[in-house]
Amino acid sequence: MKNIYHGILNSFATVVSLGILLMVTGCDLNTRMSTFKPKGPVAQEQLDLFMLTVWVTLGIFIAVGGTYLYVVIRFRERPNDTRPLPKQGHGNPLIEIGLIGISILLLVIIAVPTLKGIWYTQTTPNEPASRLGNWYTGEGLSEGEDENILTIKVFGYQWWWAFEYPQLGITTANEMVIPAGKAVHLELRSVDVIHSFWLPRIAGKVDLIPGRTNSMWIQAGNSFDRWQKERQDSIDSINATTAYETYLRDEIDGYYYGQCAEYCGDSHARMLFRASVVSDQGFADWVADHKEGNPTTPEGDNWNDWYATYDKDPDLLVGELNEGIKLFVGKAQCNSCHAINGNPRAAGVGGPDLTNLAQRLSLAAGWLNHHNEDGSIDESKQLENLTKWIHDPNSVKPGNLMWIARDGRGIGQLPQEDQLTIEESRKISLFLQTLK
Amino acid sequence: MSESASSEHDSHHNLVVGNKKLLMWLFLGSDCMFFGTLISTHLIYRKLYPEEYDPTQLFSLELTSFSTFILLMSSFLMALAVSAMHKGELKSFRRNTLGVIFFGLIFLGCQVFEFSEFVHLGLTLQSGTFGSTFYLMTGTHGCHVAIGVFWLTCLLFYSYSGKMDAHESAIDVEAAGLYWHFVDIVWILIFTAVYLIEFIGKTGGAAH
Amino acid sequence: MSSTVTATPTTQSEHPVVLSPERSKLGLLRPDHGKSVIIDWLTTVDHKKIGIMYGAIALFFLLVGGLEALIIRTQLAVPENDLISAQRYNQLFTMHGTTMIFLAVMPLNAAFFNFLVPLQIGARDVAFPRINSFSLWAFVAGALVINFGWILQALEAMGLFSASGPTEGMNDFVPAMGWFGYAPITGIKFTGAGTDFWIMGLQILGIASLTAAMNFTVTIVNMRAPGMKMMRMPVFTWMTLVTSLLIVFAFPAITVALGELMFDRLFGTNFFVTAGGGQPILWQHLFWIFGHPEVYILVLPAMGIISEVLPTFAKKPLFGYPIVVFSGAVIGFLGFAVWSHHMFTTGLGKVATAAFSLLTMAIAVPTGVKIFNWVGTLWGGRVRFSPPMIFALGFVWMFMMGGFSGIMHSSAPADAQQQDSYFVIAHFHYVAIGGIFLAVVSGIYFWLPKMIGKMWKGNLSTWVAIFSTVGLNVTFFPMHFLGLLGMPRRTHTYLEGFGWETYNLVCTIGAYILAFGILLLVVDIIRCFRSGEPAGNDPWDARTLEWKTTSPPQVYNFGKTPIIHARDALWEDKYGPENRKCGEQAEDGHGIHMPSQSWWPLLASAGFIPLGLGLSLMQAGVPFMGYFAIFGLCLCTVGIALWAIEGPGGYHLHPKKDA
Repeated sequence: MKNIYHGILNSFATVVSLGILLMVTGCDLNTRMSTFKPKGPVAQEQLDLFMLTVWVTLGIFIAVGGTYLYVVIRFRERPNDTRPLPKQGHGNPLIEIGLIGISILLLVIIAVPTLKGIWYTQTTPNEPASRLGNWYTGEGLSEGEDENILTIKVFGYQWWWAFEYPQLGITTANEMVIPAGKAVHLELRSVDVIHSFWLPRIAGKVDLIPGRTNSMWIQAGNSFDRWQKERQDSIDSINATTAYETYLRDEIDGYYYGQCAEYCGDSHARMLFRASVVSDQGFADWVADHKEGNPTTPEGDNWNDWYATYDKDPDLLVGELNEGIKLFVGKAQCNSCHAINGNPRAAGVGGPDLTNLAQRLSLAAGWLNHHNEDGSIDESKQLENLTKWIHDPNSVKPGNLMWIARDGRGIGQLPQEDQLTIEESRKISLFLQTLK
Repeated sequence: MSESASSEHDSHHNLVVGNKKLLMWLFLGSDCMFFGTLISTHLIYRKLYPEEYDPTQLFSLELTSFSTFILLMSSFLMALAVSAMHKGELKSFRRNTLGVIFFGLIFLGCQVFEFSEFVHLGLTLQSGTFGSTFYLMTGTHGCHVAIGVFWLTCLLFYSYSGKMDAHESAIDVEAAGLYWHFVDIVWILIFTAVYLIEFIGKTGGAAH
Repeated sequence: MSSTVTATPTTQSEHPVVLSPERSKLGLLRPDHGKSVIIDWLTTVDHKKIGIMYGAIALFFLLVGGLEALIIRTQLAVPENDLISAQRYNQLFTMHGTTMIFLAVMPLNAAFFNFLVPLQIGARDVAFPRINSFSLWAFVAGALVINFGWILQALEAMGLFSASGPTEGMNDFVPAMGWFGYAPITGIKFTGAGTDFWIMGLQILGIASLTAAMNFTVTIVNMRAPGMKMMRMPVFTWMTLVTSLLIVFAFPAITVALGELMFDRLFGTNFFVTAGGGQPILWQHLFWIFGHPEVYILVLPAMGIISEVLPTFAKKPLFGYPIVVFSGAVIGFLGFAVWSHHMFTTGLGKVATAAFSLLTMAIAVPTGVKIFNWVGTLWGGRVRFSPPMIFALGFVWMFMMGGFSGIMHSSAPADAQQQDSYFVIAHFHYVAIGGIFLAVVSGIYFWLPKMIGKMWKGNLSTWVAIFSTVGLNVTFFPMHFLGLLGMPRRTHTYLEGFGWETYNLVCTIGAYILAFGILLLVVDIIRCFRSGEPAGNDPWDARTLEWKTTSPPQVYNFGKTPIIHARDALWEDKYGPENRKCGEQAEDGHGIHMPSQSWWPLLASAGFIPLGLGLSLMQAGVPFMGYFAIFGLCLCTVGIALWAIEGPGGYHLHPKKDA
């Protein structure tokens, strides 16, 4: 009968299409946000559990699917079938109870590690190696924090991220900086709608829900100690400094991509973030640099003097950079929402902190990127991105508050005849490029 | 509404529960989940923000106990009305149903009075979560009572049309009765879980 | 149909007369026996016609939802695409989900419930024929309300309409907050009138589902033919019963949640508004207490269909009938206890996460049992690859795959990586398309000849099967990888360089293959309607009671009510021993009592349209809409009152002996 061939064809079409897909998809799993290339214990635990479920279900798949195919082929109707009707059997309780028993056993194989995994991934460890007092060498650590691990408060906004380091008294936006191989505790809050913090290679997601505080812990890569122990033989010959550098290169990739994973409105797709993982010393340097911010004007003058001149006669301040600053604190009112450490008149809190903005490899919550393969910054691309972002934020990120703000200070809310020209946007960008 | 079933379709006389009654039971089961959700929303927020509002300053136990008692008594009359209908005693049915409607209206009156008092004392729909959950929950219950009163009034008027027969209409009345008892039971739950529980450990409370 | 029967009005008459409309207790003419076909369908209380209308409307919305999906996939074919705006994309995915769940799959299931359940249990009609009509039209009203925003959105795009009043400045008139509507993005601060249309539409659809579910529960419990004991019922009827009970007990949660949300938006309450102390997380709990049973509401009827098709085409009874029924009930029951597995990433706490993780694994057992029993059914049988069977066989395979990714989700730490990524999309589309859709297509191939009395022509079904299964796998298999490579859901576009480009392109190609398969299905259905070949009573040599009567069945279903002596009643009637064959109930001489048609359910449900639209448009600042809403409410009340007063009516039919 022709129909037999149809049915088999149907089953085989499925199998073949799956096979082709497996070949297609079998390619590169080493991508920027791949959960297959975990760094650090949390993502590793999550991947291990995932792979366990894959092997168990694959086993069931082969057993049940194999039986199924066998049955469908073996018991098919033959052409001109004259056999008597099949036996009208109603089932076999022993077989059924047996199969239920096997299913339960297989699930136990998953259940026990799952329970362990829940406790492991949801309990922030407080191991000595991660305690601030044992590795943080920089300034500005709050009193009594020596025994605690680094805590970062993550705030979700439509559609960007604020990262506050309460123990160190600093705040940054969209690109967080964390120390290599140290457990970090995150407190997650949202100021508007639900967001979700997802840094796939370091940890699975946890939601930021308005009205409550969630927490999680992350750790980028194994700790230096553990890494050393695992490579006892091979690093005996190299000295400690070289070993640490090797560790940073091999174990810590340095730059990680993350994204909001809970639908949060129009520009949900453009709410990305980055995590930069640095050495202990690098972290201390970064904190110091960030605290200091930009205490002088791009030309090296004192801000107070600059503002005194600005208040008296702004026309005395000439040059593209000065024009840019004038727009920043004047017509465009950037400073009403944005803060720049060291700049006395840039202390807004509604928008992302702009301290050392030019050091960041991306803009507009990770949407506009301007770094080269080696991680250095492409300055002309950076200028282009800044200008594009400032000039027409609504097309880069529809619905964002830089364009239409609730307090009426959005760039898009400037009077029609007073809109920022592309040239003015470029001047502001030139100023922002000096923030490093 | 539940008259849809044609009499013929109801004619499986061996049924444990007839179509209309079974439909009513299912509706009440669904309604249980409905009130369950409303009451739990209230209790969850109450537990979450125990200090947000002190309802003992607001609730008047005397008034609410009185209206609870009235509703309980109306349930008693409802039972009498159903039994009267089963016996085909139309007069007794009318008298008792009128009593239920009257008591139902008193309950509704108490609730309206209570709500307006609360609003005067500053508790509105918009006042925090307590106002929102309290009014939505008790208001929904009030709507149920109002619908019940409307339904019974319709039945009362219908009883004067002369089209009521002891068999078919008794089922309708019984369905209405089930509904009324259910609404009553829900109120007792609300009275306990929302009103009385607030006074535990508060000596004197808002008795004055 | 009246050509084969003679009938009388309620009073019995010796002489057959042609039926004419009679007056109801209101003194108005009932719409029975009119000449107009349109009035006949609008006022019908016949479960078969209602079922066919459910099916037709649901198929229409299936195509609408499919079109929305195609636009979504086209937008995602290449990175940083700007084919459609972010807002439009968000509206499309919201409406795609809402449409597929509430306007396509649920009514498709309702279509099968309506057409089949009374036939399978040997009843004349459902317990409450007019409530049945009300459910249908309320569903239509809800569908219209929820989709009305498209008109406003088009007007807005042409610059002819903009919102004022409470949602001034917001230009989203089509819901754009996801089918799950997580607070607080549904709040008045974040979304416009689209959310109101969504709330009102879902509320109306909820009423439709609840009334239908109660109706079917009563029907199944009370209307079974003599001898049709519970454990003799066809599995599809069993699954209908479980599904109906799930609806009865799960929908109140969403009704309350939607009501609270509506109060938040209309009257400024604080249920989900953080500023007033509201906890948005509460919405998630309420939503998923409804939402997880809803998943089983969608899938259990599909399992029922498969449990009918497999035994028929294997010529063997269902393997382990009691266990299949029992596992269906257990799935329904456990469905209420696993809702928080949708919320593993919301910070439930360790104990709750562990508990819901374990319960979710537990629910895999009864699901697995069904698969085992289906395989057991085929074992030793004689598998005939007829069109319904091809899809049923495909179902078992695809559903199994969807089940496996479900087990992967149940491990909470692993789920932290999968949640809200494309992995989840892959999982539930394997269940929804590979499971529910294939089962529904199988059901269509199986029962359409019964519904319209015509037999399928040609072998287009094979091509439908090939294109839809290949399309399904090409679209959704790569999504497993996309998710694990970090692509989040509900993003209208994505950057280049994350390794997602190839997968997305493949997915989009697959979507078009799948769409072509569905197009072929529509063509095949049309061909079946135009087919001249009569189906006969029992074209598939089937096992259950619906195949005992004519195709299409007479308005009264069975000339004489059958008496049942065994499970698989028709099979036993055909091949079983004498004591298991069907009997027939003796005629009582009154003829067959039929319910009268009625306008009032239609009127009552039509009232939902002004009610829903009025309240939503009020939010968009359209004047006088409050009054419009009140008008709608009055319409509902008047409709229900007249419905109660007019009386059920009814008339008697006397089928000729040969019918």
